[in-house]
Parts: sequence; structure tokens; C-alpha cells
Amino acid sequence: MTSLDWIDAFLIAGLFDLVMIAGLALLLHLQLGLTRIANFGIVGFWGLGMYAFGILYVRVDWPFGDPWSFIVCAALATLIAGVAGLVIGWLISDLDTDGVLLETLGFATLVFIFATTEKGLTGGSLGMGGLRFPFDVGTTKQNEFVWLIVITVVVIGIFLYARQVHRSPYGRLLIATGSNEALARSLGKSTYRTKLVVFATTSALMGLLGALFGVMVRFLNINNLGIDLTIAVMVGLILGGSARVWGAVVGTVIAIGLFDIVVQAYIPLPREWYTQSIPVLREAIFGATLVVVLLVRPLGILGDMQRDKLMRKIHGR
Amino acid sequence: MDFITQSLVIGLTEQAPLVLAAIGFALIYRLTGLINVAYAETVTLGAYFGMWINTTFELNFFVTLIPTAILSGLLSVATYLLIFRPAKRRNVGMLEMIIISFGLSVFLRHALQFVFGYPVRFFDVPPPDPIDVLGVGVNTFRLIALVSVLLLAGVLYLFIQRTKYGLQARALATDENLAQASGIRPLTVTSIIWFVAGIAGGLAGAFYGVGSAVAPLLGWRQFLFILLVVLVGGTWGLGGVIAVGIAAGIALTAMALTFGQVLYAQAALIIAFMVLLKWRGKRLLEGAKV
Repeated sequence: MTSLDWIDAFLIAGLFDLVMIAGLALLLHLQLGLTRIANFGIVGFWGLGMYAFGILYVRVDWPFGDPWSFIVCAALATLIAGVAGLVIGWLISDLDTDGVLLETLGFATLVFIFATTEKGLTGGSLGMGGLRFPFDVGTTKQNEFVWLIVITVVVIGIFLYARQVHRSPYGRLLIATGSNEALARSLGKSTYRTKLVVFATTSALMGLLGALFGVMVRFLNINNLGIDLTIAVMVGLILGGSARVWGAVVGTVIAIGLFDIVVQAYIPLPREWYTQSIPVLREAIFGATLVVVLLVRPLGILGDMQRDKLMRKIHGR
Repeated sequence: MDFITQSLVIGLTEQAPLVLAAIGFALIYRLTGLINVAYAETVTLGAYFGMWINTTFELNFFVTLIPTAILSGLLSVATYLLIFRPAKRRNVGMLEMIIISFGLSVFLRHALQFVFGYPVRFFDVPPPDPIDVLGVGVNTFRLIALVSVLLLAGVLYLFIQRTKYGLQARALATDENLAQASGIRPLTVTSIIWFVAGIAGGLAGAFYGVGSAVAPLLGWRQFLFILLVVLVGGTWGLGGVIAVGIAAGIALTAMALTFGQVLYAQAALIIAFMVLLKWRGKRLLEGAKV
């Protein structure tokens, strides 16, 4: 493998986070942008996937080695996050947004609590090591670079899936369920099943992204299970435009790219700022962004769905 | 018997601020229909205001409660006038409104660190003397917190049920147009609701803060429990919020004593309320308003 001198290790880690958050924002787009389910517990599904993967990979003695053990564990982690999505989806199926806030926030808190208390499985607040890449192509940097390519391929897959949903009858059903559930139901659509399916599949994929993150960092830390990830994903989607597939990508590149890559690596700021000022400022600006965007331009940078434009073109309205 | 008295005494005294915080949150939720996530920061800033006044002017903790209440009330009104009122005038939907309040919460929680500093701060109060209540040692601050909370809860309850503004607030919540046609000024009444809610939240924060430490996450750590109490108890009105708040506090303590681990008690309470909310789901939609 080549020496990778052209890219530094920090940039690989930064890009990995960016791609992962874009993937989560794409999944949130399907939940929030189309079906209008406000998932405030993104970090819960992601974290469940990460810890389920870690526990299965490190604590279980598999009769086969990598990459098979990785594939099996990642698949099971995805499945577990999906089952959690199914349960939470059932809990929120007939609740208003206030109930959804409670159920999803409650779920994320439960994941945090059990990751902290079940020390025998998760390592608790000390964290959990023992994870490794399912391959070895040379140095750590080279392995991480390959892993960046892997998650990029996965997120491109999620992007294509989301775009396909937009263009399919299933997507129209999601939009109908989100914008007027009673009407969709009166037309004979099972909105209950629709919400359950979309919530479970997107939650499962959030879990898969968590598992991939676990491999990248190789050390699971409960500090990752705070609200920060949920905020970052939400800012990415809302800034770009929650109604558009590209919104998740554009918003994440601007918000995360600016703060986690440009500011951290390329702007010469005093070193002591990076420990506290910058992370705190980042969150404060993210919070303010959510408020300002939703007040001034609720549909984000990209604006409303192209579907409307398409319909206007077709019907001349 | 020991277990029951311990659960009752510790539960009531330790979780008293939760009841107060829930009342303030419920006022905004039930009278304006808004879930205000940033209420968590009203609680946090109440603790910071109290700590700042207490340590800067070297005032007695109980004296600081008055300016703390006023400052928290004003902060609460300011968030209404600057954020939520403009948002409502722009016809922002309920879902977006919650995300706006979530964003405001995140903003305040971090921005306050640039004003009050990053490290955890403490009230400057004399070390509390434990008082014996039914054989359980209770910290004086917690005991006085309980008494104050009960008094305040009573005052707020009477304010909503018996006063002119309380009646107008309820009228506004039931039918805004009719209330306006009857000469009720929505801006004044709504501002009063936010002010009173801010007082409740700020004082809850001050009691939380004096009981342990003042940190940016103080209010956010309590937010989920406030939300649980208000969404589940709110269907029975303000009295329901108070009753469920007290019950949740006692249950939390009883479970913490049983499991020997506070986090398990919290987890059990969260799961119980998540299921309870599902069970009451349909009625929540219809019964959310006054």
C-alpha cells in the first residue's frame, strides 16, 4: 500500500466522523424530513450498535476469525439496533411529537445508563478495548484510511437508498404519513406499519454506523453516548435542508467540515483553546444554528423538496 | 417500616426540586401547548444566578432566592419574547418548535460557560446540619427546600386556579380567539405565565445547586425526569403533575435503596414511564390542554 503522505492522520479521523454524521443525517432525513418522526435519541441507536458490536466481537469466542467474525458481529449489531427501533417505533406509533421526544430521549438515556452500569460487558466508565480492524494492510494510518473508504461506501449506499425512497411509491407513502396521517389512513394505507418499518430500518442502519465507528476508534467510551452526536446530526440535516436528500450531505459538510476539520486543523488558534473553548463554542453555535435556521429558513439551505418543483412542472402550477 | 420511612423522607426531601421544576414546565406546556426543552437551562441558570449572587455579594442562601427568582423569571420571559413568540408568529409547526427549543437549550447550556466559566461551581453556604426526621438524618437545606417547594407549589396552584391572571391564562389556553375577543391581552398573560414558570424553574435550580454543585449539565440531567412527570401527570392537571412528581421522587429513592444503585432506579423509572405514556398515548393527545 502507498505511503499516504498526502493525507495526515487527523484528516482521516475528521473525514471519518464527517462521513458517518452525514450517513446518520441521511437516516434522520428519512425519519424526520419525510415521515416527520423527530428522533432525539439518535445517539442511542448508534451507541447500541457500537456496544452490541463491541461486546459480541470482544466477549464472544467465535469459531472463525476475521473478517467473518467482524461481518457476523456487525450484522448482529445492526439487527439488535433494528429490534430496538421496532420497539421504540411501536411505543411512539400513536404519540405526538412531545411523546416522541420523551420516548427517544428516554431510550438514549437507557443506553447510556446500561453502558455505564454493566461493567462486566461494556467496561463501564473505564471504557472497553480489544477491538481491531478486520484486516491488516500495514500501518495504523493505512488501516484507518481503508476503513474511511469502507464507511464512505456504506454511506454512499445509504444515500442511494434514501434517493431511491424519494422516487418510489414507498417514499410518497412516507411523505403522506408525515404530512397528513389521518388522510393517508383514510386512503387505506397502514400508517402504523409504515412508521414502524421506516423507523426500524433506519435505526438498524444507525446501529451499523455505530459498529463501524467502534472499529475506527477501537476503544468504546461512554463519553461518546452524550447528546453531542444527536445535536451534530440534527444540525447537519436541518442546516442543509431536512426535506432534501442532499440536505443531509450539504449541511454536514458545512457544519462538521467547518468545525471539526477546518477550525481544528487549518486555522492557527492558541493551543489551549482546543481543550475547552472550541468544543464549547462549537456546541453553542450548533444550538444557535438550529434556532436561526428554523426561524429564518425552516427548510434549510436547499429549501423544499424537488418533488414540488417536479409537480409544478408537470401540472403547470 | 424502616425502608418505607427512609424512602418517604429521602424521596421527598431530595426530589422536592423536581416537583417544583415540573410545575414550571407544566405551566408552559399546558397553558401555551409548547414543549420547551430550553426550560432545562432555566433550571441550570437559576442555580448559576443563585450561586453568583451568593458568592459575589456574600448573601445568605435564602436571601439570594428572591433575586434568583426574578432573574430566572426575566430570562424565561426573554426566551419567550425573543424566540418563541416570533416563532409562533411565523406559524412554526409543533415539531419545529420543539427542535428550536432544543437548539436554544444547547446554545444556552454552552454559552453560559463563557459567562460563568468552565469549572463546576459551588454555593458558599455553611455546612448543613443533619436533622433527625423519623429516624432518618436529613440535610437542613433539603428540608427547607421541601418546605419552600410545598409552599411555592401551593401558591402557584392558587395563582392558576384562583387569581384573575390564572383564570385568563386558562381561558387563553382553551380558546385563544374567544379569550382575545373577551378583552384578555394574550401578550401580558402569556408573559406572566413564562415569568412564573421561570421562577419555578430557577428556584428548583437553586435548590438542586445548593444540594450538590452548580454545573452546565445540572438542568439537562433533570430534564428527562421533568418531561416524564409532566407528560404522564399532566393529563390529570397541575395537581396530577404534583402528585406524579412526588410519587416519582419516592419511587426513585425506594428503588435506589433496593437496587443499591441510583442508575438502575433511574432506568426502571424511565422504562415504567415510557410504557405508561404509550398506554395513555391516545388520551394524551386529547387531554394535553387544560
